[in-house]
Amino acid sequence: MTSRRDILRLSAAGFPYLALTGIAAEQARAAAKAGFENPLAPKKPHYEPKVKRVIMLFMQGAPSQHETFDYNEELVKAAGQKVEGQNQKLLAPVVEFTRHGKSGLPIANIFPHLAKHADDLCLLNAMHTNSPAHPQASIFMHTGSFTFVRPSIGSWAVYGLGTENKDLPGFVTMNPVGLGGAALYGSAFLPASYQGTAVTIAKGQSPIENIANAKLSAERQRRQIDFVQQMNRDLLAQQKVDNEIEGLIESYELAFRMQGAVPSLLDIKGEKPGTLAAYGINDNPTRDFGAQCLLARRMAEAGVRFIELNMGGWDQHAGLKARITANATAIDKPVSALIADLKERGMFNDTLLVWGGEFGRSTIEQGPGGDGRQHNNRGYSMWLAGGGIKGGMRYGSCDVSGGAVENKVHLHDLHATILHLLGLDHTRLTFRYAGRDFRLTDVHGNLVKPILS
Amino acid sequence: MTFWRPLAYLGIFVCLAAAEDKPTPEQVEFFEQKIRPVLSKNCYMCHSRQAKSARGGLVVDNRDSIRQGGESGHAVVPGKPEDSLLLKAIRYGGTTKMPPMGKLSDTVIADFEKWIAMGAPDPRAGAAPVAYAKVDFDKARQLWQFSPPKAHPAPAVKNKAWAKSPIDKFVQAKQEAAGVAPVADADRRTLIRRASFDLTGLPPSPEEVEAFVSDKSKDAFAKVVDRMLESKAYGERWGRHWLDVARYAETMGRTRNQPFPVAWRYRDYVISAFNQDMPYDRFITEQLAGDLLPAPDTAERERLTVATGFLALGAHDLNEIDARMYEMDVIDEQVAATSKSFLGLTVNCARCHDHKFDPIPTRDYYAMAGIFRSTDLKNGLRRRPPLNQLYFYPEMLMRLDGKEAWPGKPPEEVAQIEKQYSEMSAQMANYRGPRNRPEAREMAVKIGTMPLPQNLAMGVKEASKPQDCQINIRGDAHSLGDKVPRGMLQVLTTDANPAPAIGPSDSGRMQLAQWITSNQNPLTARVMMNRTWQHLFGRGIVDTPDNFGLSGSKATHPELLDYLAIRFMEQGWSVKKMVREIMLTRTYQLSSAHSDRNWESEPDNKLLWRANRRRLEAEAIRDSMLAVSGQLQAAPPESSPVYKWRRFGEPARAAGQIERWDMTQNYRSVYVPVIRNAPSRFFETFDFPEPSEPRGKRDVTTVAPQALFLMNSPLVETQARVASERLIAKTKTDEERVRRVFQQVFSRDPNKTEIDRTLKFIRDTMGSVQESSEGQKQQEAWTRLYHALFASAEFRYRS
Repeated sequence: MTSRRDILRLSAAGFPYLALTGIAAEQARAAAKAGFENPLAPKKPHYEPKVKRVIMLFMQGAPSQHETFDYNEELVKAAGQKVEGQNQKLLAPVVEFTRHGKSGLPIANIFPHLAKHADDLCLLNAMHTNSPAHPQASIFMHTGSFTFVRPSIGSWAVYGLGTENKDLPGFVTMNPVGLGGAALYGSAFLPASYQGTAVTIAKGQSPIENIANAKLSAERQRRQIDFVQQMNRDLLAQQKVDNEIEGLIESYELAFRMQGAVPSLLDIKGEKPGTLAAYGINDNPTRDFGAQCLLARRMAEAGVRFIELNMGGWDQHAGLKARITANATAIDKPVSALIADLKERGMFNDTLLVWGGEFGRSTIEQGPGGDGRQHNNRGYSMWLAGGGIKGGMRYGSCDVSGGAVENKVHLHDLHATILHLLGLDHTRLTFRYAGRDFRLTDVHGNLVKPILS
Repeated sequence: MTFWRPLAYLGIFVCLAAAEDKPTPEQVEFFEQKIRPVLSKNCYMCHSRQAKSARGGLVVDNRDSIRQGGESGHAVVPGKPEDSLLLKAIRYGGTTKMPPMGKLSDTVIADFEKWIAMGAPDPRAGAAPVAYAKVDFDKARQLWQFSPPKAHPAPAVKNKAWAKSPIDKFVQAKQEAAGVAPVADADRRTLIRRASFDLTGLPPSPEEVEAFVSDKSKDAFAKVVDRMLESKAYGERWGRHWLDVARYAETMGRTRNQPFPVAWRYRDYVISAFNQDMPYDRFITEQLAGDLLPAPDTAERERLTVATGFLALGAHDLNEIDARMYEMDVIDEQVAATSKSFLGLTVNCARCHDHKFDPIPTRDYYAMAGIFRSTDLKNGLRRRPPLNQLYFYPEMLMRLDGKEAWPGKPPEEVAQIEKQYSEMSAQMANYRGPRNRPEAREMAVKIGTMPLPQNLAMGVKEASKPQDCQINIRGDAHSLGDKVPRGMLQVLTTDANPAPAIGPSDSGRMQLAQWITSNQNPLTARVMMNRTWQHLFGRGIVDTPDNFGLSGSKATHPELLDYLAIRFMEQGWSVKKMVREIMLTRTYQLSSAHSDRNWESEPDNKLLWRANRRRLEAEAIRDSMLAVSGQLQAAPPESSPVYKWRRFGEPARAAGQIERWDMTQNYRSVYVPVIRNAPSRFFETFDFPEPSEPRGKRDVTTVAPQALFLMNSPLVETQARVASERLIAKTKTDEERVRRVFQQVFSRDPNKTEIDRTLKFIRDTMGSVQESSEGQKQQEAWTRLYHALFASAEFRYRS
């Protein structure tokens, strides 16, 4: 058993789907010889994976399923009536729906671009989760618990699989939202190597903490690093064997490479004008999320294992129609462009896209003019797309009270399914801490088999 | 790391409860034909141990559970069909109609009635989820960790010349048995640097090093140790170790990350307790029951009040909807913090079921929980307050009677402030409008930004009416079982260590403290000596310092730990005396040199054949840079920046302020505010523990963001620049400068190669920089050198 004290960040061999060449192979050999273990080195999954990476689009605030991806005919029929025990009336969708694609999936008209990919989407219409409060539910969605501080799903994925690009972090979250804070991408008791790296996508802000030196040119900094690395190697030679010093030497090289790799990763100047336009980078409403989507594709290409995109502002207790329309517009074109782009590059089938909020909204109306909906964790919608997933499918349904009734999927089940698609058995991906083995799904979670292709 | 095989050991002291009533063959037949198939077909999907969650807390797949019932009561009362809720539900008679998909046939319902009337004979094994196992405590108490430390004579060793103390002999005997030999002793420069980091968290000054190197007296090292133990920096270093264990933080964390504006008083209390070498048994007692100890004066009363802050620092979910659940979560956190930090036990595992590995039944958990249920938490924060706006209420803190609430303010002004506060509070409490209205927020902001009285502290006090806890079945606060009298863990309670009687008006905290600090408690002294050993050697004798249970690591030197524990108690629980005793051993003073021969057979160095090279903690790295640059501010700050933040807006904003604080202020790192969910980025990068649970052992990782920090952070650049300015002002020749830099940063002189190489680096840098004047070039070159050395392995490790 490897002690956590010995955890070092070094490249090593062992991933069957990646050919190691050049420096990586050399380092791998050196590492294997010295008995190092790089926690981020690609690791073998439990079984053949369906996808190599996950792109999670987190919509904080709890988007309404009734105005997005869950067209509920019963609700339309019963609209205006009261449900037993409730004073407010049932509210029909405040936006129109149209059926799309060969599958005829009903998708709200506020998503005209995404609708073109209807046959790729697997709508989970009977999601349910444990809390109707934003912070708890957001944390639960990411860690499977809001009772304790637990690792984020992205940390678990990188813990299980390592990552493919030795110059970049394995788990990246862009513009993380406020509620829940660092807990949404924290590694909790897993080693710090697995924690998500928050990347800020905003003008004039450093994307990663200390990623650039304000004063020194790369050349001058390299001279300084060469000097210190020589001292470090001397110390290592004197010690003969020291994994930690070896790891430290490598950490400087990686950091230096990251300094080079991150700016070029984030630099979208080389993208074709058509691509930028497709993602909506040039238009105000879509600029922010468009940039996140485009960068997600670039990170996916670069081999980042778990990529999270964030957008807040879905908590529509009032002003539902106008606000959800604006939100939909902000993400519609970018997400649609991301799907198309991944397909064009032959990456769609080894990527899993997960879209959703921390819970959903009520079937009954709320707020002034009845143009709003309350929180609802008993039934809501998310969607998946990409490898290993049946597209053009609706799975599960809710009754008019808003509760999931048929083919229910709990978040633990979704977590189990996401790990499964990555080739990880959620019951076997464990970490021993404080005297017991922990896992993302705790003692819960069942694979949602009917949606797997 | 070797773990015990807990399940194998479980067999030692656990035997299943014996079956009671035995059904006749006819009754079994009736059950198997008429009852079991119906239960299995219609009920198990929601009400069995295999079900995703047992609805309503009801499980019907075994005899005990079906009788025990769920949240609503007993499902089956043998012989009493009318009292059996299950029958009522299947008759569709009340609000609960089961099974939900359709009423069972009348014949089936009649069968159930008949079955219950005949006494509900049930051949299925009884396996109620709670207290199903009986622990054989006598057997459990024979295990090492559950029996009191035994005095072991120092073992015989072959090489009589090596050991300097009995501690050495315990170490040496194991080495000799394994065929490894200790390496040579550390040189003096290494030794003083090691001692300085271990005791103060700071590097020794070049002058201190020279004084020690040239001190030829026999007790030269003892003098160094004594001087450092007496320095204020010792408490700042060892106090911080304890703050890790005490999950110290200055905000609530979790969902509503509200501030603890006066948590820093507890921090200062801990630092001063270590500096005064407060006997550890007293230290425990003060933290658990300081409010109940006699105090000769108000200053002492205040100190004792602040001490109980230990129990008030927990991270809770202020947005928890369920009040009873919240109450039990608070209690659970106190049980966990108390048992992990003082006893090295994970008692909280027994909240929902008997402990899976250790002899701790659920009953024991609730016995301890009752003590905290009878204790009022005063952390200043209210769960789900009106309008969800203002969580902090000064009246929900402890008041320090000796301190003035408003020092320097005239009485009229004080009266005015107090009047205003109570008016605004009342206004807020009576507000009935929607909570999203701007005026609601404004009101909260107004109250939240009022000046804060200066006499507040976090802590606990006795509840007005002590109450025992009922077992929460499967940890569900609404599913109540037997009431358990307040008390102690049975496995650690013996004739020698009896559980003190808890009076009807006592919470039991004082008795808990007495019982924990008894010389006959098997764990208390061992756990603390293990923590001490870990801080001096890098690894505890038990490698899981917060878990001495059967799922923790096995002790590498159990007899040695017993020896230390007994010495500790004999020396009046003095931590300083034990630290000194350990540091004066030969084992502590070994070099960290490699040995091929030893490394082949024992690479992990569990046998301590050399000193462990250890990465410095986040705090020591930052403080050392500040010390080298001469910028470290030795005097502590008066309170904490959190004192001013009674109301958090966005946690992100708070994080920004903290970051500026630790990057711009030059106080020692122990004073950098600890914000849950938004720790100092620097600390986080260097493995500062997530402070929501006791963490007696930090991770040590080596990751690229650490390198990025040391390469690019303005903090490092600034310290390098300041250090270089001072260097140039104080020294004349370049060679003198190189020596001085090495002495400052590494506590040693450079060798010939290093001098040449460094001078070349200086020349090259000066030749390549853009700065105009010669002086600026020089300044820049030496800045680059300091910067490089701050980033080096030698600086980051203590060897």
